[in-house]
This record gives sequence, structure tokens and C-alpha cells, in this order.
Amino acid sequence: MTFLQLDNIKKTFGELSVIKGVDISASRGEFVVFVGPSGCGKSTLLRMIAGLEDVSSGMLSIDGKDVTYEEPAKREVSMVFQSYALYPHMSVFENMAFGLRMAKLPEDEIKRRVAEAARILQIEALLERKPRALSGGQRQRVAIGRSIVRNPKIFLFDEPLSNLDAELRSQMRVEIAKLHRNLGATMVYVTHDQVEAMTLADRIVVLRAGLVEQIGTPTELYDRPANTFVAGFIGSPKMNFLTASVTATDGSSLTLRHSAFTDGAMTLAHAAATKVKAGDAVTVGLRPEHLDVASARPLLRLTLDFAENLGGSTQLYARTDTDTVTILANGRPEIRPGDAMVAGIDPRHIYLFTPAGAAL
Amino acid sequence: MRVSSDKILHALGLTAVILFTLFPFYWMVSASFKTQADILASPPVWLFTPTLDHYREIFADSKVLGAVGNSLIIATATTALAVLLGAPAAFALARYDFRGKSDLWFWFISNRMTSPIVLALPVYILALQLKMLDTHLVLILIYLTFNLPIVVWICTDQFKSIPPDLEQAARLDGADQFTIFRKIYLPLGAPGIAVSAIFSFIFSWNELLYALVLTRRDVQTAPVVATSFMSGYELPWGKIMATGTVIVLPVTIFALIVSRHMVRGLTMGATK
Repeated sequence: MTFLQLDNIKKTFGELSVIKGVDISASRGEFVVFVGPSGCGKSTLLRMIAGLEDVSSGMLSIDGKDVTYEEPAKREVSMVFQSYALYPHMSVFENMAFGLRMAKLPEDEIKRRVAEAARILQIEALLERKPRALSGGQRQRVAIGRSIVRNPKIFLFDEPLSNLDAELRSQMRVEIAKLHRNLGATMVYVTHDQVEAMTLADRIVVLRAGLVEQIGTPTELYDRPANTFVAGFIGSPKMNFLTASVTATDGSSLTLRHSAFTDGAMTLAHAAATKVKAGDAVTVGLRPEHLDVASARPLLRLTLDFAENLGGSTQLYARTDTDTVTILANGRPEIRPGDAMVAGIDPRHIYLFTPAGAAL
Repeated sequence: MRVSSDKILHALGLTAVILFTLFPFYWMVSASFKTQADILASPPVWLFTPTLDHYREIFADSKVLGAVGNSLIIATATTALAVLLGAPAAFALARYDFRGKSDLWFWFISNRMTSPIVLALPVYILALQLKMLDTHLVLILIYLTFNLPIVVWICTDQFKSIPPDLEQAARLDGADQFTIFRKIYLPLGAPGIAVSAIFSFIFSWNELLYALVLTRRDVQTAPVVATSFMSGYELPWGKIMATGTVIVLPVTIFALIVSRHMVRGLTMGATK
């Protein structure tokens, strides 16, 4: 059953339209991640769910109740801010107890709940400290603790890990995933980091310029991106795009021409064969991790520009006559900048898009 | 170890500023312990036998103590009211958008731009007709007019520096506007409130023009009494300086107490 429902939600600031009609639904216990480049409206959308931004039009419901115009506190949601937003003049205990005090809970119940949250987050030793005496990771835990104690219907996270260093970030990412599993709570998480999106989400909502580009599980988004934007956004390094032209189709396969193809052309069995005709241009998408520099049947002839040694793997930046192609190669291939090289790919891993960007 | 010339210049500059500001203070306090002959000696006498005669004289004179009492009542009431009314106004100006906000803001500031002497006569006539001359209330009201803008101005600035995320977190926690003001903005805005309270107190304490115009005998303030000694052909410097020293004490104590709240970085740890 739908637990969180966004129905044609729009947001305008004066003349400026920020959210242009968004439909999203999430079921109870689901972990939904909003992802997109900065300015896509993902934080605004989250703040609208929280009630911190007014909804210009559309309907928002939580647990079957219309909360479009409800006060933030009455929505029974809690939010972890990007800045943590801890009350600097209050101890960790008081920070976590603040919402409970506002709800006028009895003192022993407040103590019990704060102690429970502190135990889960392993911050029991910090309860008497002020936020300024905490490290970034500890502040993050307190901010999460503050949202746990209120036992909300939905947890909202606004880029909670973006202020942490890389190691702490991956550690907290695992903890948030564990927290989700242990609490079984519904969570909505905003990030611009596709790694966080891929690892945490049950479902990902990819947003661009106030519109939903695609909604799906991480695997769906990776395997079947709806367009070049999603294809480029999900996966790291970014997918390579080459513009090729169709020279022939026969109902189940099509032949593409590009100057970098080893034979000048490639014939490929693909469902797109019925949707294009000879003379059409198509965008070919190749993921860096699918390209193989030691392939027995290479597809691309390239010249190496630059190589980055990542230890266990090497990231190669090569070029065709017209485009740059990134390849993630295992180990350390013996290729030097300026050398000619080849790369092959399993044909099942080739993505095709229209010139406008829609998946074929 | 080489001390950079920057540091030496810095120290010299600082010393000059300290001498410049503290010397008159030293002169006043030391003169209050000198005999009239020592005070008028030229070149000045640096070493002298202190005398408490001037203090005995002013404390024997009920006028001085009464005036200090009047000043205390007026300055405390003005400061309390200015903060009580100014801080909530500043909260609204800092965090909410409403119609006429910029006009209101300009009105607050422009109040402060008027030269007090321009209004002295109209205010006198008003007070006369309202039968408020020579009352504590009239001075409290007129000082409030000058102090409120300062309080609003400083506090608005202070409140604006508090991260808006805190207020939103509190809203999600279920706090209403008044609770947010009381539990978040007041404690975190304490430095600004303290500064504006000090300004307000010092202004009300030192103010002479309106105190002269609007009081007769009952509600004379300390500065009025101090200047009243300069009458006729006599200039009792020792008595004036002793009165001055007594006048400066309460305001110094007040400033020292309140300045404990003037700490920087109160919002540290809130964000990031």
C-alpha cells in the first residue's frame, strides 16, 4: 500500500518554476533516494514533504492522510539536515530531548527514549557534551538520534553525509543502511552522490530541472536507463556516448557506422532494430567498466591520452577522431599515452538512444 | 627570536589608543582625591596626598545620591523596556517577511538620524501639556525612542546570523514561534542583546540634554546634578570629579556584568 504519495506536486517561487509536476509514491518501510545534479529541485521536494516549503499545487499524503497544508510538526516526519542543525547551546541529551519536550512527554519516557537512541547510535558517552565539542561524525549521529527519538512515520535526510570526509562517509552510509534495516522505517534521502543512491536505495528517483527523469530500483536504472541523462548519471565513471549512423536494419539486428569502429561498422542484434531505419543517427552508450582492452574481438580503435593508476584498476582516457572514451581496466595494462589501442565490449552491454536522448 | 615590525607598530598603536581613552578617566579619578590647590597646580602634580573630602561632601549632599537613584531607575527601566520590546521586533524583522517591512526598518533607523536638539522644544511642550514634566516616565519614554532603534538594529543583525536550519529543525520538533524565539533565538542572540543593552544603558545614563530640559527638581539625573555644580563664579573641580567618578561606577559595573554574554562563536557546532 502507498505510504507516501506525491500527486502532481508543483512549486513556484514567483515566476520561477522549481518543481514542475512530480508524481512519486513509496510504500511503508521503503528507502527512496532522490538524486540529481544541484538545482534539480531534490532538496526543495524533500522540504515540501517536511512542510518547510509550501506546496504551490498538487497533493501530498502520508499514511493515507492528506497533509498538503499540514503544519510540519503534525506530519510526524523528522529530518536530518545537511548542516545537522544541532542546537549549539544545548547538550546532546537536550538536543535529542527537545522534540519530546515539545510533545510534553513525561520526563522518564524522554530519558528512556533518548537512552535507547543513544544506545543504537553508540553516543551514550556524549550525552552531556555540547555540539561544539563533537567531531563531524559524532554530530551526524546526534542529528540522526534527534530524528529517531520521535519515532516518526518518515525519516527525511537532506544530503546528510556531504560534510564528512570520504572514510567517515562510507562508514555512516553503512550505518544508515543498518538503521533502515533495524527500524524498518520509511526513509526519503536526498543526495547528489550516485554511489550513495545506488548503495542505499530500494528505489531511486532521478530528478532533473524539477521533473522526474526515471524511477526504479538501482539495478533497473543501471541496466535500463530511460534516457542518456539517467544513463550518464547512474554509474561511475560516466557512460561514454558516441554518435553513430544506421546503415541497415533487418527487423532483429541493425548495422551502425562510426569512424572508430574496427571494421568501420558493427552489426548488432537489438530490439531497437524495429524502431530505426537506415540513415538515422543513434547515440551509442558504452559503460567504462564494460569496455575490455584485451578483447579478442575489439570494437573500437582508440589512441590513449592519459592513464590514472587506481591501484587495483586503471582508468584510461582514450580518444577517437571525435570523442573521448573512458575505460575502467583491470590491473595495469601496458599502454602508454599516445599509443594506439583497442577496446571490445559484450554486445549485450551496448545501450542505444535516439539523438534526443530517449532509450531505444 | 625576531619580533616583526608589524607587531611593534600594532603594540604602539594599541598603547596610544589605550592612553587616549583611559587618560581622561585617570584624570577624573585622581582629581577627585586631590585638594583644589593640587588640582589647579601647574605643572600638574603627579604625586599627592589623597583626600576623601570631596566624597564626604557629595555623600553629605542628598542631591547627589538622589540623582544617582533617579538615573538608576530611568536607565534600568529604559534598558529593560528597550530589550523587552526590541528583541521580539528584531526577531520578526530578521526572520519573517511582511508587508511594509522595509518601511518599518527605515523608520527605525531614521529615528536615530534625527538630531536630538531638533526635537527638544516640541518634546518639552508636549510634556508640559501632558503634565509629565519632571517625572521618571517622560525621560524613560524619550530615551526609549532613541534606544529602541539601536536595540532592534543590533539584535536583527545578530538574529540574522543564526542559521535558519535551527529554526526549521525546531519547527519540525514541534516548537511554535514563541518557543523558537525563547529557546533558540534569545540564548543564541545573547551577545547582541547584551551589546544593545549596554548601549541603551550608557545612553540613558549619560544623556544630558533632555534630562536638563524635561526635569526641574524631583527627577534630576546624575549628569544634571554634576553639571549644576558649575555655577556662578566657582568651579569646585574636586566635587565635580568625585561626582563623575560615582556616576561612572554603576555603568561600568553593569557593562562588566553584561559583557560576560558578549562571547563570539556561540553558534559554533550548530552546523557542519
